[in-house]
Amino acid sequence: MLDIQKKLKEIGPFVPEEDDDLLVCRCEEVTKGEIRKALHQGITTVEELRRFLRCGMGLCQGQTCGMITRRIVAKELKIPMGAIEPATARVPMRPIEMEIAGNEKK
Amino acid sequence: MKIEHKELIVVGAGPAGLSAAIEAAKSGVKAIVFDENSKPGGQLFKQIHKFFGSKEHKAKIRGFKIGQDLLQEAEKLGVEVVLNATVVGLYPEKEIIVKIGGEVIHYKADAVLIATGASENMVNFRGWTLPGVIGAGAAQTMMNLHHIKPGNRVFMLGTGNVGLVVSSQLLQAGCEVVALADAAPKIGGYGVHASKVARTGVPFYLSHTIKEVEGEDHVTGVTIAQVDEHFQFIPGTEKHFAVDTICVAVGLSPMAQLLKMDGIVMDDTKGRTVPKCDRTGATSIPGIYAAGDVAGIEEASSAMIEGRMSGSAIAAYLGYLSSDSSEHRVDTLENSLSSLRQGMFAPENRGKKIETTEEGIAISQNLLKAGFVTDDEITRFPGFRKEMKVHPVLECTQNIPCNPCQSACAKGCISIGEHMTSLPISVDGSTCVNCGMCVASCSGQAIFLVAEETRAGFGEVTIPYEFLPLPAEGDGGFALGRDGKKLCETTITRVRTSKAYDGTALVTMEVPTEYIDKARFYKKIG
Ligand SMILES: Cc1cc2nc3c(=O)[nH]c(=O)nc-3n(C[C@H](O)[C@H](O)[C@H](O)COP(=O)(O)OP(=O)(O)OC[C@H]3O[C@@H](n4cnc5c(N)ncnc54)[C@H](O)[C@@H]3O)c2cc1C
Ligand code: SF4
Ligand code: SF4
Repeated sequence: MLDIQKKLKEIGPFVPEEDDDLLVCRCEEVTKGEIRKALHQGITTVEELRRFLRCGMGLCQGQTCGMITRRIVAKELKIPMGAIEPATARVPMRPIEMEIAGNEKK
Repeated sequence: MKIEHKELIVVGAGPAGLSAAIEAAKSGVKAIVFDENSKPGGQLFKQIHKFFGSKEHKAKIRGFKIGQDLLQEAEKLGVEVVLNATVVGLYPEKEIIVKIGGEVIHYKADAVLIATGASENMVNFRGWTLPGVIGAGAAQTMMNLHHIKPGNRVFMLGTGNVGLVVSSQLLQAGCEVVALADAAPKIGGYGVHASKVARTGVPFYLSHTIKEVEGEDHVTGVTIAQVDEHFQFIPGTEKHFAVDTICVAVGLSPMAQLLKMDGIVMDDTKGRTVPKCDRTGATSIPGIYAAGDVAGIEEASSAMIEGRMSGSAIAAYLGYLSSDSSEHRVDTLENSLSSLRQGMFAPENRGKKIETTEEGIAISQNLLKAGFVTDDEITRFPGFRKEMKVHPVLECTQNIPCNPCQSACAKGCISIGEHMTSLPISVDGSTCVNCGMCVASCSGQAIFLVAEETRAGFGEVTIPYEFLPLPAEGDGGFALGRDGKKLCETTITRVRTSKAYDGTALVTMEVPTEYIDKARFYKKIG
């Protein structure tokens, strides 16, 4: 677990970057700037980012943006990629219509 | 709610999953394989190129054919393969939920193998969400499964084997590949794959990446720029290409969600999440196994062996095989696997700077930067030899686990020796009968037959050719160098196709003797 207050002090304030408007999660339309800002507000894990911004919660379930997000987290929080807690995996692994999810074979 | 019981459930009908099911079924295990695709075979069915390795690894056979063979073998052994079946969840006690049609079905298994493969990585440059920016694997699916041309003018980002292979397939499909770029300072994939692309005239930009992709509602162009050692753009190095398609081939990520959601202990290295497994793919939960790309990105050849190792261990776990026989079988398979994991591209050499071959020959630096060995460099490799009469010239200059060329030649003109990764040698004093088998069997399309002088001042070069339409005898055109640049005018003297060549045509062109060691590709006039 990261010491959040200490980390926030270490990384300093949020400084805008010219590509903050770049989309990271295209399914949920979350930008690089939004993710960076959230990290400066004390979010430190991918799981929290997902709940806070919905990045990685769309159709592909983070299969496309997962690595990009983790790279941003690593860079911004100055921690190695391997030290970032990955998001929890949950059923359903693939998007599924509610109608089908509820239609269990008798 | 009904729960159906199965002995072994395999998720994913790719090379790993099918091989595991086959191996387990051989010992009597009743296996069922689910795949969400409408076609089985996983990535193999998109791979129209010939594979590397040795005979036991199905070298020189095309990927899709390997897939067909696996499927046939599985069917023969009574393995049930269910397609259009998406596994959406893995719950404790090996309960699996599968979406088939409009229903979800619950299964419970005594053993489970997860072989779900991997998905493509993306990079988010400006414009990455424009239609026309696609994964290289997606381009391969469009071309080789659905017979759709992904675009007309394509830019490829990434020079690993996927980027290189897909580039040559795009060329085969009739697309123009305008350039390949990679942020790394050297080409990541096999040199022989790169050379196939380079000799058609496609340039490589190393230490370059995409700055921006333009377009209103679809891609119309791309700007790339050079990066420094910290991967920061160097101002003033921008290059622009008018293209309609960008292919991204920057690596794959294992699709390990099913294992994760079941609480299996994962290993998280370099941002990749893979299950912690023993050599047979056994995870932290007894009876649950993982094999293939999902357990660590490698190749189809290794995925098949890993699958077999898991299959054998599963048969023992379920009591169909004694643990001794299983151990023995796994040992044998492991040997075969480690022979594939040798050479310059072996996992332990990743990221290392290699200066010389195992034989102590300096590596071609140009091959790493521009995708081809220069005319001066090629002469120092053992595959290069000069002789008046027809003889093989093997332009295979890196230690890769591959040797079909050696067994292809019944005349002993080609030697690799015991060690699969050794460079092929064009044997001095051997007599080549010009049968062409070596050219057609080389997965890297790196073998040429050269006759230095067939008439005064002229000789002949035979090249492997996998493009349509084929040239015809008497056709004129240009001979191109390894760099894809025009060398001289040439005439086609012979075009050979044969069932034994398995789709590779042998095209012979006549060139002035001075170009005999340089001419390596043919281009029709116009
Ligand atoms: C463009 C490209 C070129 C390549 N070229 C070569 C090559 O020349 N030589 C070589 O050896 N290797 C090559 N590879 C690598 C090789 O294809 C893979 O390493 C190999 O296919 C991995 O096998 P696998 O069985 O683990 O996974 P895959 O082949 O990916 O199969 C996984 C299967 O699981 C299914 N699946 C996934 N999730 C679910 C789910 N939830 N429910 C049901 N089914 C699911 C998928 O539909 C798929 O069919 C290439 C890869 C790519 C992308
Ligand atoms: S053409 Fe035939 S005989 Fe000559 S080197 Fe190749 S395989 Fe051997
Ligand atoms: S020359 Fe031989 S070892 Fe090299 S790629 Fe061709 S078949 Fe493989």
